[in-house]
Amino acid sequence: MSGRLNARDRLARLLSVIPWVADRPDGVLIDDVVERFAYPRAQLLEDLQEIVFFVGVYPFTPDALIEVDVSDDQVSIRYADWFSRPLRLSPEDGARLLTAGRSVLAMTDTNDDRDAASPLLRALTKLGTALGEGAERAVDVRLGTAPADTLGVLRDALERGVQVELEYYSYGRDELSERRVEPAKVFSDQGNWYLSGWCLRAEGARVFRVDRIRAAVATDIPVEGAKASIDGSFTPSSDDPRVTLQLAPAARWVVEQYPVEAIDDSGEDIIVTMAVSARAWLERLLLRLGPDATVLAADPSLGTDLASSAADRILARYS
Amino acid sequence: MDKLERLLNLTAALLHAEIPLTAEELRDRVGGYPDAKATFRRAFERDKDDLRSMGMPLRVEPVPGVDPPVDGYRLDRDEYAGTELAFEADELAALHLATNLVRLDDDDTALVKLGAAGAGAPADTVGRIPFDDTLATMIGAAVDRQALSFTYNGVERIVEPWKLSFTRGHWYLSGFDRLRGDERLYRVDRVEGAVSLIGPATAPVGDVTEPIDLRGWELGDGPAVVATIAVDADQAAYARHILGEVVDRPDGSVTATLDVRNIDAFRSFVLSFLEHAEILEPIDLRNDFVDWLEAQR
Repeated sequence: MSGRLNARDRLARLLSVIPWVADRPDGVLIDDVVERFAYPRAQLLEDLQEIVFFVGVYPFTPDALIEVDVSDDQVSIRYADWFSRPLRLSPEDGARLLTAGRSVLAMTDTNDDRDAASPLLRALTKLGTALGEGAERAVDVRLGTAPADTLGVLRDALERGVQVELEYYSYGRDELSERRVEPAKVFSDQGNWYLSGWCLRAEGARVFRVDRIRAAVATDIPVEGAKASIDGSFTPSSDDPRVTLQLAPAARWVVEQYPVEAIDDSGEDIIVTMAVSARAWLERLLLRLGPDATVLAADPSLGTDLASSAADRILARYS
Repeated sequence: MDKLERLLNLTAALLHAEIPLTAEELRDRVGGYPDAKATFRRAFERDKDDLRSMGMPLRVEPVPGVDPPVDGYRLDRDEYAGTELAFEADELAALHLATNLVRLDDDDTALVKLGAAGAGAPADTVGRIPFDDTLATMIGAAVDRQALSFTYNGVERIVEPWKLSFTRGHWYLSGFDRLRGDERLYRVDRVEGAVSLIGPATAPVGDVTEPIDLRGWELGDGPAVVATIAVDADQAAYARHILGEVVDRPDGSVTATLDVRNIDAFRSFVLSFLEHAEILEPIDLRNDFVDWLEAQR
């Protein structure tokens, strides 16, 4: 936490800080408060001495005010009767903790090291009891549907710092390939697991979707290069060919789903320009959109008759 | 007067009040509000929103013995503090680590309230999940057994939420739809506009449909059409992973049966294999697929 906090964030902190400090009559270290409550030191001191000190209830006679004593590196608080207990966690606060906590539990599940008495499980059980009867059931998170054994191989390789050999189905290019990768990170984004790393075949940083890895084998070859790390599945580069599409209102979701570079939203139809990772990707998109999309311009390297040639290939199976 | 000081005094006054206090009484006792009536009202409304957004159970009750009735405000001390949460240091550290490993939105109020903001070293994020206030409200309602109202597919719904599930990149809400008197499943990102809490849930919690088992082509009304598709050998592993049950054929390709309730979604799924898949039956779905492609030649 850096920078200055606004009034609401400071209030949220003080409502916990005041009872926590008041509960310790001998005072506490200021640094301890700064760390526990992510309260920038200068702002904490200012708020304690210039604001909390003047807080009380009508008619604000001295005996109705909170007493704050700051000396050297210590602070103590007395007579904070209205704030003797911290503000509860709201259901929304609880929702965030439960979601993060359950996600992590689901992750460790695949590692087989889930411990019934793990601190996280204990914390979530306490939290559930405090929040309400529905807590046990209310949230379920699946970070990805990747096969656990593939994830296991990748995590193991990452931990040992060795290269992995992959048999990978590239959905965008619609081809199966064998690659050797120096793993940098295994992560989940939007419900899918990814491996990012340095692909020795492509000689570049690449991101692989774990559920499209057909086989993964950890080697004994140590990772040499600097660890490559990229987030997200497709980041357009300036070399990628471009296509300009006219999209009917029903195809508006395309703009939300894929990186779009230019957009003309002035008419009923929208006109977008986007980078194309591979021709097969564009073919799928066009076939799926059908009458809702028209190609206005395409880089010559993509060829012509994009949708119709793909349609021909598929229809050959049906004749 | 600093806004923080006003909010603290307001909280103290509300906790101190034995009977509900009117807005004007609070203005006089708290201090720091503008004098003009309209600007005071706006400032007071904003302050109330701030307190509520932090989770304060602000009570709005008629002030006793006043006619015509006037709204008064107070905080019940026990409601304000809720159930005491006594976490051990390792439990706080585990919660802190979990919120670092899995990234939601940037709201860290919960950790701050627990004094767990410094409970461990920051860790590299391994998961990212879309999250916002609407979702927090829905999960909070499922935990607390509260009913919600919202608009979905242009229709007003009153739903008692049971469970929020994140799977395949989307959040799903399952629960009891009061107006339809039955269990329903909703995609949270298709909820339109605001979600409001409307009071306690009354129906018992039923068996939850697991959205993990539902694919786009299965989300629809009416009876399902059973379709059979074939997928080539090179894409078979991917198909097996997506579909679960597939039948192997001697050449390495596979067949699978799908329950289709949404033809557009089914067509998009089959198209995602390009020329590496084929709809075998029924003939109606096969013809629909051919017509769709013929129109694009």
